[in-house]
Amino acid sequence: MTEARDEVDSRDRLLLERMAAGDRAALETLYRAYHGGLTRFLSRLTRRADLIEEVINDCFWIAWRKAADFHGDSRVSTWLMGIAYRCGLKALRQRGDEPVDDYALREGRGPSHDPDEDRQLRDWLGKALEHLSADQRLVVELVYGVGNSLEEVAAIMQAPVGTVKARLFHARIKLRNVLPVLAGETPAQREKLS
Amino acid sequence: MTSEKNSGTDCTRAWEIMPWVLQATAPQEQGEWLMHHLAQCEACSTEFAQQSRLRSALALPADVVVDVDAGFRHLLERIDAPEPATLPALRPVSRWTRILAVAVLVQAIGIGALGARLWSDEAPQYRTLSQPALVEPAGAIRVAPVPSMTLANWNQLLHDFDLRVVDGPNAAGAFTVVPKGSPARSTHLLQELRASHSILLAEPVDDTP
Repeated sequence: MTEARDEVDSRDRLLLERMAAGDRAALETLYRAYHGGLTRFLSRLTRRADLIEEVINDCFWIAWRKAADFHGDSRVSTWLMGIAYRCGLKALRQRGDEPVDDYALREGRGPSHDPDEDRQLRDWLGKALEHLSADQRLVVELVYGVGNSLEEVAAIMQAPVGTVKARLFHARIKLRNVLPVLAGETPAQREKLS
Repeated sequence: MTSEKNSGTDCTRAWEIMPWVLQATAPQEQGEWLMHHLAQCEACSTEFAQQSRLRSALALPADVVVDVDAGFRHLLERIDAPEPATLPALRPVSRWTRILAVAVLVQAIGIGALGARLWSDEAPQYRTLSQPALVEPAGAIRVAPVPSMTLANWNQLLHDFDLRVVDGPNAAGAFTVVPKGSPARSTHLLQELRASHSILLAEPVDDTP
């Protein structure tokens, strides 16, 4: 897992170097590589597709202009996620919006082309994430979805590691209580860990 | 499964390392320990299964559709757009600089107010020896109240005799007062003042050597 991420990071660094020299093909490669992940990450913050595209483009606009300033203190993915996170919060602030609290909102949701199993899994996840705050959703996404370490999440959210750890802990406690219920299981099995 | 045999400590440890084992970033021995624990602990096994399912769900593509081709086209349009004229980047202003700026502003306002006040004064508050002596108003009387006289009594006396103070007290504690009305009253006024127990001295200024 770590080796695979290291390989990806090496590729990303080369792309950034080429971007710093004005190579648009490198920009497109990086853009397409991260578009899906950033869309998923930002969808934990807002359900508006237009806003997500705007934030992704803000992020890559900055990356294009600042590519030469990347010193490699973190993975490129962590750097990009951090920029996207800050751009996302800024965009929401400028519009007077708050991160989505009602995660059940499905505006901008795509057509239901998933296999049944995926759709059930997605619905289960959507209902579970309703119980989390925006920051908790993002931490869960970054740890379970992206595979970041606590230190990387802290760098992305510009928060102390302890704060990230607390957000993850509380998110997991909430999920532990709601996931079995949402899956139709009896809560008896949860009693042991309570 | 024999969950009762497992201590709470083991379950807590299992709880803490589950995300990192799922990420495959935990050390191999931690992963092996967890698998061994899960084989014995039903609750942790159930929890791990839930988290595995959560990870699978989070790995699904986003359910908000954002067109990657259109997005990249918009990005290139933005990059190619002529840049608006921008002001030179300002250096961030530190807190101390702001405090100093406020202090300078307050000083400037103070100096301005002082200057305006000095400018508005028609006559200086001092007199040089080369200047002629100030002309006392007609009918002025120099009055020395008893030392024990209170301010309230002094004010009452001024009110009763319809006087106003124009100078003093001098080195001897005497005030120069003038009648608010006609100076012609001065002679009678002088007698009344001298008759007052509160007044030690009442003399017309004109007669003072």
